[in-house]
Amino acid sequence: MSLFVDVLSGGVSGGTSIMYAGVGETVSERAGVINLGTEGSMLVGALGSYAVGVETGNPWVGVLAGAAAGGALALLHGYLVVRRGASQFASGLSLLFLALGLTSLFGATYVGQPVVGFDTWEIPLLSDLPVLGPVLFQHDPLLYLGYVLVPTVWFVLFKTRIGLLVRTAGERADSLTVHGYSVDAMRIGAVTAGGVLAGMGGAHLATAYANAWFENMVAGRGFIAVALVIFATWSPWRVLGGAYLFGCAIALGPALQARAFEINQFLLDAVPFVLTLAVLTVLGKRTLSASPAELKRVFENAPPSG
Amino acid sequence: MSVRQSTPRWAVGVGLACAALVVAGCSSATESSGSGSDEPGKDTPAVGFITVGPKDDFGYNQAVYEGSQAVEDAFPDLEVMLAENVPEDDSAATTMQRMIDDGAKLIFATSYGHLDAALKVAEENPDVVVVQQGNTITTDIPENSGTYFGTVYEPMYLAGIAAGAATESDKLGYVYAFPIPQTIANINAFERGAQSVNPDVETITVSTSSWCDPGKQQAAAESLLAEGVDVLTQHQDCTSTVIQAAEKAGAMTVGYHADASELAPEGWLTGAVWDWGPVYTDIVQTVVDGDFVGSGYNDNFRVGYKTGTNPFVLAPYGPGVSEETIAAIEDAQAWLGTEEGSPFAGPVLDQDGEVEIEEGVIPTYAENDAMDFFVQGVVGNLAQ
Amino acid sequence: MSAEAKVADAEVRTVPVVARVVPVIARWVGALSVALVLFSVLLLLKGANPITAYTGIWETTFLRSRPLQEIFVQMTPLVLGALAVAVPARAGLTNVGGEGQIIMGGVGACGASLFLGDTASGGVILGAMIVCAMLAGALWAGLAAAMRLVAGVNEAISTLLLNFVALDLLLFLIYQPWRESPTGQPATKELVDVAKLPVISGTQVNMGLVLAIGLAVVVFVVLTRTKWGFKISVAGGNAEAARRSGLNVPVLILSALLIGGALAGLAGMIQFAGVEYKLRASFGYQLGYTSFLACWLARHQPFPILVAAFVFAALSVSSDSLQLDAGVPAASIHVLTALILIAVLGFTAQRKKATA
Repeated sequence: MSLFVDVLSGGVSGGTSIMYAGVGETVSERAGVINLGTEGSMLVGALGSYAVGVETGNPWVGVLAGAAAGGALALLHGYLVVRRGASQFASGLSLLFLALGLTSLFGATYVGQPVVGFDTWEIPLLSDLPVLGPVLFQHDPLLYLGYVLVPTVWFVLFKTRIGLLVRTAGERADSLTVHGYSVDAMRIGAVTAGGVLAGMGGAHLATAYANAWFENMVAGRGFIAVALVIFATWSPWRVLGGAYLFGCAIALGPALQARAFEINQFLLDAVPFVLTLAVLTVLGKRTLSASPAELKRVFENAPPSG
Repeated sequence: MSVRQSTPRWAVGVGLACAALVVAGCSSATESSGSGSDEPGKDTPAVGFITVGPKDDFGYNQAVYEGSQAVEDAFPDLEVMLAENVPEDDSAATTMQRMIDDGAKLIFATSYGHLDAALKVAEENPDVVVVQQGNTITTDIPENSGTYFGTVYEPMYLAGIAAGAATESDKLGYVYAFPIPQTIANINAFERGAQSVNPDVETITVSTSSWCDPGKQQAAAESLLAEGVDVLTQHQDCTSTVIQAAEKAGAMTVGYHADASELAPEGWLTGAVWDWGPVYTDIVQTVVDGDFVGSGYNDNFRVGYKTGTNPFVLAPYGPGVSEETIAAIEDAQAWLGTEEGSPFAGPVLDQDGEVEIEEGVIPTYAENDAMDFFVQGVVGNLAQ
Repeated sequence: MSAEAKVADAEVRTVPVVARVVPVIARWVGALSVALVLFSVLLLLKGANPITAYTGIWETTFLRSRPLQEIFVQMTPLVLGALAVAVPARAGLTNVGGEGQIIMGGVGACGASLFLGDTASGGVILGAMIVCAMLAGALWAGLAAAMRLVAGVNEAISTLLLNFVALDLLLFLIYQPWRESPTGQPATKELVDVAKLPVISGTQVNMGLVLAIGLAVVVFVVLTRTKWGFKISVAGGNAEAARRSGLNVPVLILSALLIGGALAGLAGMIQFAGVEYKLRASFGYQLGYTSFLACWLARHQPFPILVAAFVFAALSVSSDSLQLDAGVPAASIHVLTALILIAVLGFTAQRKKATA
């Protein structure tokens, strides 16, 4: 297979978990809440889906469990920051620690256990296309669900009433109150929905992509997802593209090594992060002006106290 | 913002720190100067093990745990302590010291990176034996410590024979973490084993820069499979991702750490797995008897097919290994046990065709432990 | 800080010390109790007796010399790492980059020691290590500051991403150019004895602790008693107002982040020259994130940071006891840490929606 196709295909499959988490975080941030605990939601999602997948033998039930676990952790974040006035960054990191601890505590028995994961579904006709076939249409069903997810989230956020309410919670919270809606409910709901999607991202990583559970297996992908949302200026479509781009950056290292290119592994490992920093810098102020207003307050005015 | 704190809390903080330091200072002065002993560790009531990862990782650390269980079975009166997730830094010394304070006079520091902390603890506790698994002490070896390991590259050489015989594409794939000598020797031995039955075979290597990141392992496995590799093996702490990736793609697998044949019923060939029980119990017996000083374990101890009791054994064979290949492997194992047998019996050429080991030379186990080049036939670069 | 807050603050100052401290302590005791009770439930689930677990922690962590000293050793970088969060926080900035800045501090210190070689005098090496570590930490934070000033990139995100870059840089250095021996553990050469930080006599606790406590005092004085401290808190409270009143907000932001980075860099130097003596792959692991949470727990106040750092270090050292006395996996300490944080988040918030 050519390097090009190899990297693109690896980018789509490897980027999918990041895409789920990134789209989820988009919903959360659109409502004005940033969640560094996304990494934690992915982690509990990975273990939840894996453990339930092992116990039931049904990966779809596993995904539901992973989504629920990710949502539950995010709900706690929503409660702490919205109702208890906790610092968004501190709360997110605390929940990451909680997820790290809980998953290694309860996940140990699932290490090395085989799971009935998702199989590859080759889509008839489309999978035979040159380049596009292997890149887009020779994957697992949870990945295909991601293709549907992005337009759906975009539609809900921008074309429905509930989406409008969520975005208003992130832009002009006061006007929601005026109209008798609860800003808190909108935000907690959006954060939880974000956690559900992050949990599904973790589920993809554990039960569709890597077919394994191991402690701390998310390894920074949740953090990348959070950065990605800003990089994508809060657009689900750009999150999709960005996540695949990240996936490609991750896939590039092994693809080059397998072809015996003289590369420096450690510098290559830094590429996804440097790339994000570079894009954020180049996009510059544009990202800032596109930011939901309430989120901007969180960013610009991180308070010295909780 | 919150109520601004003022002096009282500050005083509490600093006062607390000072008071505790004074206490700490007094008590340490009384305990640290234990005198040397001719028979360190003799009649120890307890043995401590520290592992770098969780004891149920289905890999390296689980093998240590199972070895510690063997010690527990063999010495019912001995208390066995096990601390997992002990980082490879100075804080490991505190964990070991804590076991010593609880009565352990024999400590197994089982990760490669625990060596510095192990030597520090050995120096501070002359009556305690601290042995380290997998690394090499390059300075003078203290009377109460040593390192021990098996020669995992020997079974990897044998597994290479199975892989070399089974491959159709003549391309083998190796997923590894970091270019440390142990890993390099494994990769080289695997390739040389494969070459011994299939001169055209090459081993393509991909590093994940991590001992366990299943996501990166999957990417590595996919890239190797895309390059036409039809046998995958690895040197990773968690192993199931690569094995399943191979199985899904219809490729074959050589395992590492544990017998994972149930994950790959079709493609499993064999693998190098651990059995630490005999070595651990022998170390414990030696120490309990007061015979540690000057024993083989008071050194950089290496067991292999030459000495017998290699803690690395070959996993059961899968369906893809023919009778003929099994016979070849058995012959090779017997040969490795002889004087002139070695995966690296000269001549050994490196990737550029330069002679690294002259014809007729049989490198020692110690020399193999210091390997820093890839042999000819290995694809991948070791930046120096 | 808003005008009302200032007034409130002034009022608070006039209230007797006891009346202020008691409710604070009560809230903390309440939060910690809730965390311990929740954790007890978890211990019971795992088949361990909570009473045994807690007495085990007390007896083998706090009543023994070596673990107690280890707590002080481990709290030192946390104090500096938390101060590195506190200073930028005063200017309204979120420094999540302690992890990378501490690594860069270690890299700076190690680089200085390698450059000077074994023959230089200990004092020279120590001095050079401190300077280089602080510069390296400041540089890493400075990148984030520059990105914020030039392109408006939020520093919470950029410092977070820079952590990963710093780790890759560390791995590159210890596996390749700075590796002591191609056949040994991937690590740098051990620091020469004369350049190791001296220990407090009779203990294994290095002088870094004294330095860290001293710097907590300095940071307290600088933040509360100097013009610069006042200016950054104004800029942090309301950048627009600060600008209108003639403050050079970009310079203030830059300086606050640079100082934060320098403090974290110093933490890295102390970890290198006082504890590890070598750079290894695990250098500084999770110190930055733990520091961030310690700083948050202390509400960004220098003296409470000392207490919070002690608590986190004690938790980390207690994990040995949890494993060996109570027989629960090491990872459970993360759960206890998180429960304490969450209980404190839930119980001690000043008011609803402080951050929204």
